[in-house]
Formats: sequence, structure tokens, C-alpha cells
Amino acid sequence: MEDISRSVVKKDHAPKMSGRSVYVGDYETARDGRPILFGKLLHSRLARARVLGVEVPPLPEGYFYVDAKDVPGDNNVNIVLDDTPVFCRETVEYIGEPIAMLCGPDEAAVRRLASECRVEYEELEPVLDLRRAQESFFDYEYGHGDPEKAFAEADRVFEEEFETGYQDQTYLEPQGMMAEPEADGGMYVHGSLQCVYYVHGALARALGCPREAVHVFQDVTGGAFGGKEDFPSILGCQVAVAARKCAAPVRCVFDRRDDLEFTPKRHPSLSRYKVAVKDGLITAMDIDVRFNAGAYSTLSAVVLQRGIIAAPGVYRVPNLHVRGRAMKTNTAPSGAYRGFGAPQTFFAVEMMMDHIARDLGMSSLEFKERNLVRQGDATSTSGEYHFPVPLPAMVEEVDALSDFRRKQREYAAPQTGRYHRGVGLSLVYHGAGFTGSGERDLIKAVCRLRKSAAGEVEILASNGDIGQGVRTTFPKIVARELGLPLEKVSFAHPDTGRVPDSGPTVASRSLMVVGELLRRAAIRLRESWEEGREQEVEERFREPDYLLPFDLDAFRGDAYPTYAWSVSAVELELDTCTGQTRVLGACGSFDVGTPVDENIVRGQMEGGFLQGLGYSSMEKMDYDGKGRIRNNSFSDYLIPTAVDVPRLECVLHVEKYPDGPYGAKGAGELPLVGVPAAYAEAMEQALGGDGRVCHVPFTAEDALLAMAAGET
Amino acid sequence: MVNGYRPASLEEALALLAQKELTPYAGGTDLMLEKAQSPREYLFIGALPELRQICTDGEYVRIGAAVTFTQALEDERVPALMRRAVSQIAAPAIRNAGTFGGNLGNGSAKADSVLIDFVLDAKLRLVSLRGERLAAVEDFCQGRKKLDLARDELIAEILLPAEKGESWSYHKVGGRSALAISRVSFAGVYQETEGRISRCAAAFGAVSDTVLRFRDLEGMLVGLTPAQAREKKEDFLAAVSRRMQLTAGRVSAEYRKLVCLNLLREFLAEHGI
Amino acid sequence: MDEIRFILNGRETAYTGGAGDRLLDVLRKDYRCTSVKCGCGEGECGACAVLIDGRLMNSCCVAMGAVEGAEIMTLEGYRETERFTVLDRAFARATAVQCGYCIPGMVLAAEALLRRNPHPGPEEIREAISGNLCRCTGYNAIVEAISLAAKEGNGVW
Repeated sequence: MEDISRSVVKKDHAPKMSGRSVYVGDYETARDGRPILFGKLLHSRLARARVLGVEVPPLPEGYFYVDAKDVPGDNNVNIVLDDTPVFCRETVEYIGEPIAMLCGPDEAAVRRLASECRVEYEELEPVLDLRRAQESFFDYEYGHGDPEKAFAEADRVFEEEFETGYQDQTYLEPQGMMAEPEADGGMYVHGSLQCVYYVHGALARALGCPREAVHVFQDVTGGAFGGKEDFPSILGCQVAVAARKCAAPVRCVFDRRDDLEFTPKRHPSLSRYKVAVKDGLITAMDIDVRFNAGAYSTLSAVVLQRGIIAAPGVYRVPNLHVRGRAMKTNTAPSGAYRGFGAPQTFFAVEMMMDHIARDLGMSSLEFKERNLVRQGDATSTSGEYHFPVPLPAMVEEVDALSDFRRKQREYAAPQTGRYHRGVGLSLVYHGAGFTGSGERDLIKAVCRLRKSAAGEVEILASNGDIGQGVRTTFPKIVARELGLPLEKVSFAHPDTGRVPDSGPTVASRSLMVVGELLRRAAIRLRESWEEGREQEVEERFREPDYLLPFDLDAFRGDAYPTYAWSVSAVELELDTCTGQTRVLGACGSFDVGTPVDENIVRGQMEGGFLQGLGYSSMEKMDYDGKGRIRNNSFSDYLIPTAVDVPRLECVLHVEKYPDGPYGAKGAGELPLVGVPAAYAEAMEQALGGDGRVCHVPFTAEDALLAMAAGET
Repeated sequence: MVNGYRPASLEEALALLAQKELTPYAGGTDLMLEKAQSPREYLFIGALPELRQICTDGEYVRIGAAVTFTQALEDERVPALMRRAVSQIAAPAIRNAGTFGGNLGNGSAKADSVLIDFVLDAKLRLVSLRGERLAAVEDFCQGRKKLDLARDELIAEILLPAEKGESWSYHKVGGRSALAISRVSFAGVYQETEGRISRCAAAFGAVSDTVLRFRDLEGMLVGLTPAQAREKKEDFLAAVSRRMQLTAGRVSAEYRKLVCLNLLREFLAEHGI
Repeated sequence: MDEIRFILNGRETAYTGGAGDRLLDVLRKDYRCTSVKCGCGEGECGACAVLIDGRLMNSCCVAMGAVEGAEIMTLEGYRETERFTVLDRAFARATAVQCGYCIPGMVLAAEALLRRNPHPGPEEIREAISGNLCRCTGYNAIVEAISLAAKEGNGVW
């Protein structure tokens, strides 16, 4: 094992383990000792309506009603575009859209006042069905070769549709933000978030103030997984506007119910695949993808981009046409969640491959292996796989661990008895880092190392620890290059008032991109080290030379600097009486480059894999005919418990990435991506006959009804 | 105590209940989740020694209404079928607080211990200042949140007939393996006497307004040999199917019915029927 | 006698608020035991779990009137014990802490298990923490940590 991979005690282990860590909901007072006002949002009850007025009950002294009229600056939260308001404008576009915030010293009183507000709506017709939605926020198309010709010349043409549902991030700590007006007229905002500078930019606009007048701090964050990438900017603006009006600190922490109903989730999707096969090889794919973006565009452009880039999977597709649309519906805006569009399309393409293989009378793995991309091949966007594609070796690793091939043969035979078994396997990648040239053109990461006269080094970067361990891995890298003990290198939670913008904590970029910048900075500091003097070294992002620049309009070039790869296998047992499943085995091989702490990376793989299992099976969430999410509690939206899975087995397969620190690549999102297809393939085998799984989550009810319908 | 009463004895509790509008609180795991319309006054009965006993009297195993699920799991006198069902309630923290009386008092057909009360022909001892009475569980549970319980009455004990060598089946369908509310639950009790079926009880939980049991249909099989019962099986299942008017919940009525009949069929098959 | 008397982390105390007030809120606000977290408010996640008379319970489901005469322990109290030190070392070695939000409940769930079953197998550990949701770790490292603590406990349980 590499030195750097050797696991250490995490630097934030102690306060979290002892219960001393302060999350945003734990503050007793504001920084200056002032009491904190409790903020509660007034949410729209209707999916689409004109807001004619709000009848606010009489407010006692010290209680405030805050809405769009109180926004000093721009009533817009810029996420990618400017469409989400801070507080609603003339219309509300989804159930849960914030109309106003009630604030005051007593929580019970504020809740009561909020419940007494009477909103007068003029109901409008909402668009709720993704299939019937007409308006798209984004519409992309790309391809290469001559798909039409390939379809005409094919031996076989296959066509099928796949569907994926919502998934809620279900971080254990709900959304929460707090704003504290400062004595000098500035505003200090902090809370549970991923991207301090995103929040910072949004605040400056909403408050209509210079950027220096606002600073944002990331509190200890109890899980995020993408769910706190954009939403905290909105909530942050809301509490800041409220704090400005009340001239007092305001904190708003979501109830779990509101969080489940109203905050961003994974985009539901509908994908139609048409695939041409000739001589046992794929010659063309024509793919149409629709994502349910919800009522505002927020992050949908980028999610859609990643989803459609991944749509052809890990296969060579000489002729390709892909179209993707992010459709507007009057539902809570969908957002970022680990995988960010790729889990949806990888589910579809892997199932498509399974079904084609079945029709051709081949094992799915055999068919996939014939069509795999290799190093040097073109990517879906006519970039290049510059680095090794280790999938074949990883398949062997997973087969050795799970006995996949033998079991696939065994379970293929007709099964009798009450319990049927099945195995499934998937092959996927995750593009490491920001899609396209975002890193170079938008983010332009900057980070610094500050050395004290005593020889202690502080890392100044805006990436935040959300449980994934950057407060440990960043210092590990710097300490190693400087030859210092880990205790001498620190990395505090980011505060925009103190750290430069090294970019957001998203896209599996933090370790790979910023970690590498810090490594280079540490080397320079080491080489220029002066004992007893204060020093500071800055490092800026430089795009690697080998990259074929990505043109977003044409969808051409290297969409990602490199790829992380995974092979996932699932074995399950199906109770044919009830449709319930028991996961008997779950294993994966993951190539995320060199682990910059073996335990931390394993923890990411195991955590992500389990989220994938939940997405496949029990995490069902949908809205009713009025656009209301009904499973809005933890008793209705189910995530896996410790007894729902056996031990997950993970292999770390290392292909070093030369531009990542010690060969590390983006890791956080990868483990979830391949799981749904592995689970679904296992389910198909357990169902037997011609059972087809074309949607996730595939629940016990789905399984039983499929069996009853005689599809199996 | 502000807004609540903590009586030291059952007698005191009943006296308070006779005078005031109080909400009996045993474990609190259901009550604390309810959004009461107006502030409630609780009557804390969870620690009353009279309600926390488990004892046997030859005919019954008597479980005090404030006995927690954990307490029952740690006591082998509690029938194995009940312990099986209770072991799958929620999770340890809920089982440490939740009680048999509370499970009944919540008036839900999803209550896991109530399913077993039904299939074992449990009786409830109900007490008030006015006296006490015994009620059969299926007379007590009348519908969703509808109980034959007067305002001044408390459930004191659940009386489970002592085990006499029956065999039993239990299956819970929740959305996951722990912390799961039942979506369909099944309990069956079977016994043969001199080669003939003397007992073939089946109860279905979480699929209707109350736990379902069809005693008259069970009568179709009682008295027969297993071989004879096998002949009647399809008629029996068809009759049960016709009788089942199920409600939809988190899962469809169709799914619920399929599962109920599958589990019933499986239960019969286990006994050669 | 209007007050509700109980023992919190070894200290006798009295609560003079409403008997129907939620233990979770009282612990966090009145007693500043902020290690007790609110994850869902309905007993479905275990983030608010505390030990009441040695038994693990979700404080969001407990009314103050029910804790009269009880001994309550939160992580604020537990972290002063030798047993905590053993768990702390094990969780550190197994890298079982990610975002940390589930940890206070997990630690007390581990204590509740180990005081009754000092040598649990992996299935028993999973059962003991089945009411504590974790979204970050996938549970492997936590099960590993508790197993390690049991092995290295050296008679402390």
C-alpha cells in the first residue's frame, strides 16, 4: 500500500465522536451573544397558482413577516440561470415554493403564526406528468457517425424504455441556515452546506451589497450528497433577508417532513433506447432522455449534460445520436444527488444491454465484454479514453469475490420452491470532476497554504467536509509533502472571509483537483521554506495538457479529464409469496486511483453502494395528482437500515491518474452509479421466465405483481 | 406536574380518569407522534406496577398493558408466536418503550401484537372505577381508531390462552427489515387432535380497518383430516378471497390480497394441506 | 409538587415545564445537551436516542412526565466513561465517523448492546443498531467498530 493510503485517525473524529461538534441547529446564541430568532417558511399549498395576497395575522412585538418585498437587492438566486426567486413572485410554481418567512423569538408562536397565514390563490393548471410535459428548460443533442445507416444495415434493432424515480438524499441533518447581521453592517451567514462561494455570490445579489459585506461559513455538515449544493443558497438568502428586516439573527432549520417534500431530489427520468446490433456488436444507439427538472431550472442543465454524456455507457458505439431534455413540471425543482444524472442513464443502458444479450442468447456479461471501450478509444463525445480502462480485470476481481459467473449459470435454470435467487452485474464509469471546461472557465480554483512562524501550516480552500473526509485528506497530502506530522497541518471549515475560492464541493472534484493543487503548493512551500518566518503560497488551476477541450455547444471533446470505473455485483433472494427481497451479497470493484486514505475511500464506496441499493429497491417517492409528495416522513420514505444488507465487499482497484494527487481520482459519486442495474439484473433472474425490470425503484409490490401477471 | 398526572397506583389512575379528560400514556411512541388539536393532559401509567406484570394462571398468560415489547421478549412465558411478532416491531429503542396496551389503544390494524391477539383469541381485561370486564379482542377493536373502551376505562391486561402445543406461522411484510410499519402481516395457528384438524386460525393485519379473521370460514377445515382439507383447500381459499375487502395504503389492495392468499396457502402447505 | 425530578448524566435535577413537553427539546434547549440530535422527530431514525434507566429510547417520543424518577444518560455524560474511551478508539480505528450526525445515537446504541451482550456477533450488532439510520457509511465501518470495541474492551463491559 502507498504510504499516503495508510489510514489515519480523522482530524474531526474527536469532536464528532464525543458529540461536541456544533451543527447549525446547535448554536445557543449568535456569535455576539444575541438570541436567535426562529424562522419558519410559509410554503405554497398548490402546484401552480397566482398569489393574489396573503392575510397575515396580527404580529406581536418582535415577530416579523418577510417576503419578496423585503429583498433589498435582486429577488433571484443565481444557480446556473436566474430563475429561482428568493421569495415567490406573482405565481407559485410548485407545492412548497416559499412565499414568505415568519420570524420571532418563540418557536411555537412562530409556527402558530405561520399556520394562521391565509394565502389567497388563483389556481392555475399545473403540469405534473413528465410524459405529457411540453416545456423544456434545456434541450441538447449530440452524436457522431451515421446512425440511420447503421440501423438500416443492422442484423437486429432493439428498442425499449426505462424509467427511474426520485431519490431523496436523506442526509441525517436536515437543511439549515442562519444569518447574523454584523455591527459594521455586514451579514454573516452560515449553515449546513457544500459550497460557501455559491452561497456567497447569491447573498451579495439578494442583499444588493458589495461582496466584501457578506461572508459565509460552512458549519459542521451532517451529510449532503449533493442535496446541499444549491438549496443552501436559496435558504441562505431567505434567512439573510429576514435577518436584515428583523435586524436580528435568524435561523431556519427544516423539519424532516418539509425537507422530504420541498427540497431538491434526484431527477426522475424516462429514457428510450434504440440499439442496432450487427455480428454480435453494437453498431448504433439512438437515445432519447427526459429528466423531470421540476419547476425551476436550478442545476438541471449540468445534471442533464452528465446524464446524456453517460448514456451510451462503457461501450463502443460507432454511430450515435443522443437527445436530452430537462422538462419543466410544477413540482419541487430537482437537483444534485450523488451521480448527478449518470445513475439514471447507466441504469438504462446496462438494462438495455442485459435485454439484448438475453434476446441474442448470450450471457449479459459476455455481450458487454465484447463491446467494451478500451484505452485510446473515443468517448461518447469524441474525446478520448486517455488512460487505462481496467474493466476486464475488475470483472475478474468481482467474479472471484462473488462467484458471479457460476451463480448466473446456476440461477438461470428454472427455480422451484418459495425462494428464488438471482445475480446481476454492471459496468459503469463516473466522469471525474466538473463536466466540460467548467474547471478552467468557470471555477478557476485558487488555494493557499499559510505557514506560521512556528512552522504550522494552514490550508486555505473553500471545499467543505460533508463527511467525506477532506478535513483529513487535504492535510494528509500537505503534511506528506512537507514532511510534517499531521497535527501541524490544519484545515478548518471554509469561511469566505478567510479562504480563496477553490471551487465547490461537488462533482467528485475536491480531492482530485484541489488536493492536487495543494500538493503542488506544498512542494513549492517545501522548496522555499524559511524557518521562523510567516509564508504564504498560492496555487491556481491549470488544465492538463492532454485534454481535448470540450465544446459545450457541440458536445465534443473530453467531457472529463479522466474516469473512475466500477463493476458492481448483487445477489438477492426473492420471496415469491410476498415479493420481498433479501440482498444476500453485494460487492464491487472500484477504480478511483490511489486512495488518499484507505478507510476513508472504503467508507465512500460502502456508503454510496448502499444508497444505490436503496435507490434500486425501497426508496420509492412520488407525487399525487395534485403534485404533492405523499411520502414525506421517515416512516414512508424508506432508506436501508443496518439489517437490510449483508456486509458489502469492496475491492479498490488502483489505476493511478497522473494529474491527481499520488494518482487519486474523483471517488465520491462512483459507487452508487452501477448498483441499480446490478440489482435489477439480479431481480430479473430471480423473477425467472421473461421477467423484465425496466424501472427503479423496483419494489416488492412490483415483483409480486410481475409474477402474478405471468410475465415470469 | 404541569399538564399531566402521574398516579402512584392503578386505583389512583382510574380515579383521575373518572374525573378528567386525560390521555393515558404508557410508552408514548404512538402518542408523541400525533399532532393533537389542542394541548393534551397525559395520564402517565407506564410505571404502574399493576400494569407491568407478566404472570400465568394455568389458563392464560397475562400480560400487563404497560409491559413493554422488550420486557416480553425477555420473558419465555410469553407465547413464542407473540415474541416472534414483537421482535420485528420497529427497532430496539421503540420496543424498549412500546407497550401491549398502547399497541391496542392506538386502534390500528397495523399493530403487530394485535395481530397475534386476534389469532390467539386473546381477551382484554378492562378496568374502571365502576368495575372490570373482559372483552374478546375482536369485539374490542371495532375499526380504525374505534375501540370498545369507555372514556374512564383502561386496558389492564391482555390474556393470551396458554400454549398447548400448537404450531404457528408468522410473516410480516414491511418496506424493509427493520423500522418498518407492516404493509401486510399474517399469523396462523394450527393444531391436530387425533388426526383431525382441531385448530386452523389465520389472521391478517394491516390490510383493512381492523385485523381480519374469518372464523366461520376456518370452520370449513376444522374437524377434517389433512387429506380431506386438501380437497377443500381451493374452495376455502376462494371463500377467503371473496370475503377480503381490502383497503389500499402504501401498497395496492391487489398486492395485499395476493400476499395474504399466498401466505395462507403457504401456511396450509406447511401442514400437508 | 409541580416539578418532574430525574437524574441527568449523574446529576439530580428538576423540570418545571409541561409534562407533555418532548424530552428531546428539553435536553437540547433547557439542558444544552446538543449531542442529542433531531433527525426526523418521529422515532424513525435514532439520532435522538438516549439511555433511560439503561434502555435505549428515542427522546423525540418521550414526554417529560414519563421520566419522573428516571436516570437519563446522553453522550455528554457517557463520554466521561471508560467504556466510551474504548468505543472512541475503535470508531477511530475503523474510521466509522463520517458526517457525525448519527454518531451520538449510535454510540449509545452500542453501549445499550454491550452492557447486555459484551461479545456480540455481527448479526447482533446490526440488530442493536437497526433503529439508528446512517446515510454516510453503509454501516460496515460502524459494525466493525463496535465489534472491535467488544474485543478490545478487556472486561470493561
